[in-house]
Amino acid sequence: MSSLKKILNIKETGIFIPLALLCVLIGIKNPVFYSLLNLVDVLRNTSYILIIAIGMTFVLIAGGLDLSVGSFLALCGMVCGLGLKAGWPIPVAIGAGLAAGIAGGLLNSLVIVKLSIPPLITTLGTMYMARGLVLVVTRGTPIYPLPEAFSEMGIGAAAGIPFVVLIAIVLSLVAAWVLKNTIYGRQVYAIGGNEETSRFSGINVTRIKSSVYVIVTALAALSGVLMSARLGSAQPSIGDGYEMQVITAVIIGGTSLSGGSGTILGTVLGALFMSVLANGMNLVGVSVYWQKFVMGTIIIVAVGLDRYRRSTRRS
Amino acid sequence: MASPAVLTMIDITKRFGEVTVFDKISLDLKAGEVLSIVGENGAGKSTLMNVLSGAHPHGTYDGRIMVDGIEKAFAGPQESQRAGIEMIHQEISLHLDLSVAENVLMGNLPRRFGGLVDWRLAIDLARQCLSEVGLDVPPREELRNLSTSQQQLVSIARALARKPRILVLDEPTSALTISETENLLGIIRRLAASGISCIYISHHMEEVFRISDRIQVLRDGKVISVYSKPEFDENRIIEDMVGRKIETMYPKETVPLGPEILRVENLTVPHPFMPLKNIVEGIGFRVRRGEILCIAGLVGAGRSESVNAIFGTQKRLSGEVFLEGKPVKVRSSLDAIAAGIGLVPEERKKSGLIAAMSIKENMTIASLRAISWKEVIRKKKERNLARRFFERLKIKAQGIDANILSVSGGNQQKVVLAKWLMKDLKVLVLDEPTRGVDVGAKVEIYHIIAELVKSGVGIVMVSSDLPELLGLGDRFIALADGRIRAEIERRDVSPERIMRAVTGIQETMENEREE
Repeated sequence: MSSLKKILNIKETGIFIPLALLCVLIGIKNPVFYSLLNLVDVLRNTSYILIIAIGMTFVLIAGGLDLSVGSFLALCGMVCGLGLKAGWPIPVAIGAGLAAGIAGGLLNSLVIVKLSIPPLITTLGTMYMARGLVLVVTRGTPIYPLPEAFSEMGIGAAAGIPFVVLIAIVLSLVAAWVLKNTIYGRQVYAIGGNEETSRFSGINVTRIKSSVYVIVTALAALSGVLMSARLGSAQPSIGDGYEMQVITAVIIGGTSLSGGSGTILGTVLGALFMSVLANGMNLVGVSVYWQKFVMGTIIIVAVGLDRYRRSTRRS
Repeated sequence: MASPAVLTMIDITKRFGEVTVFDKISLDLKAGEVLSIVGENGAGKSTLMNVLSGAHPHGTYDGRIMVDGIEKAFAGPQESQRAGIEMIHQEISLHLDLSVAENVLMGNLPRRFGGLVDWRLAIDLARQCLSEVGLDVPPREELRNLSTSQQQLVSIARALARKPRILVLDEPTSALTISETENLLGIIRRLAASGISCIYISHHMEEVFRISDRIQVLRDGKVISVYSKPEFDENRIIEDMVGRKIETMYPKETVPLGPEILRVENLTVPHPFMPLKNIVEGIGFRVRRGEILCIAGLVGAGRSESVNAIFGTQKRLSGEVFLEGKPVKVRSSLDAIAAGIGLVPEERKKSGLIAAMSIKENMTIASLRAISWKEVIRKKKERNLARRFFERLKIKAQGIDANILSVSGGNQQKVVLAKWLMKDLKVLVLDEPTRGVDVGAKVEIYHIIAELVKSGVGIVMVSSDLPELLGLGDRFIALADGRIRAEIERRDVSPERIMRAVTGIQETMENEREE
């Protein structure tokens, strides 16, 4: 088999080629796309989504779904912001935000696993609950100002690369390694592939299933904290609709909604694709009103192509 | 019988892309005849029937199909049905949420003025069709509430409702127990006597020999031989099927039995659907090292439920499990596996395999600890382990990285077995270990079981395949209505004794109970 064919057969190339084409096209239309400032901006915007999408990849591979990430992002950002306002040390406030995320994830997994309520329903419920809590506590107004040192963390960069991008890169590498090489990773694929067989094979299905919801919500919390730092305030409406963007990125990246397959590399490319597209449409001058429409079309085309490619390869 | 051919298929060739499934296959079927088509998985039987049923429409194959001497070109299943050909598939394709009557009359419910369904007539018609297959259930019953075997009979009743001339049965007994199979064979013979021609496809050679007027053997997409009734020779036909000599179907070696390895006491399992009813009522048994204990019974007798309850994959009300004399707390399959019990489940696709994974990953899924350093899987160790069992079990596939679904049922089952062979088991429970497995792979699986026993493992086996049970078992317990009706040693066993026990005949004669 030629090496080109090998590359074409890798799952993720399904999205890599459109992504490359998109970059070329946008670059031709508007060279500003390639300016360092813009590229860094695209990467930064990608990272907030990607951090959650990494967790969502675990959830979808395990055959689950989580709609509550956007709301928990806001809730945990708020907890962190309130802590800072109350004068807690920065690490403690961040810790509180992340702890809120872990608690939220535990709540989700408890309801899903113990009460056997489908993840779609459970997380739809907690999505409203978490958002509601944010609105109750903040009464709809942002929490600010936050300490200088905290904001600096949000703006900060190392060698020109924003911290949030570095965090996203490290998390992607770790997650990809975990999925590929650890017992845990294999078991996540197994329960998404066939939960009953996994149980018959001695996998602790309950524990693995619970863990993925904790992971994704903790990552949503991290993203929320980073976003508050970036904005210098905790916004009550932030993260609205994020769940859909995150799920879209993961699915465009080739992860199956029915569980059992998917990769972090795919998710990284999917998240990049989404933000390059959004950025490109702005640069090229697509009307804001049309952008959502284009986005929707592309989701269907991208996933449709992927399905087609897989079905032809199988036969 | 010199009656004219109802169906003739001439030089049928079918290709998928570059792969030729079968090449110039011909067959003819006379009125009122039962023709069996036998062959290993992949021999082309099911594809041939799909050509006949119109599922592979005219133009996708070469060759001619003639019904009553008239050439037919089916564009789809409806046209084939109109020509009087009815298929009954291995996998039951009925609507679980509809009533029995609706299922039976699917597509031709009687109508009244105005297009409304004439329910009274429908129920009567359905009852008639059901009685033809000897099934006594209320036509209004929801299909879901019927047992698998009853559902199978419903699908036959549905086929008969359309007054077919040719009935094709593809593995109709794979989900049936012995007495239900008896019943079905009787029905087929009656249908044949009334002039309906049947094509019968089955892996169960015993059934095939009993029911067929002729047997046609396929191998590798070619007709190898055709035998007519008096000249059936089991060994020759099986050799034709597998293309080589099989010395012994059931390799039973006398293994010296060791001390008790498994003991189950007072096992009671609640019925999965019916509240306040138990499907297994206080049973108990023992297995010794190197022993094969067989559990016989009809569908619904509680066989699978018993073994799953021991393994922790089914709820139980009571029951203690002892391994080597020590009590084991089995709250879930995790405990059972940790203690050294493995289970090859009845439904391979549903609970034995992970479809998205490779052969290798399916094999090692229960042994990840053994091939890992702390939490990290050592890929090389995994490959080596998988390859060793791949070779030892003679799995036929492109390699250990091939997808599990790309291999035949028999090879899939070997992978499930490999999953447990990798672990040091004390007890292995086999629930219908050769269902949907072709003859060649069956024999290989029997050899694997024999090897296990020799190494001192205790085996509990549930099977609806009576010859298999009798061929391998050391001791037999017969379940009926969730109770043990008989316990029989190998030297005393006979098919009749088991049949009597599982159908409860002995029981009712010996002690008349209330009820």
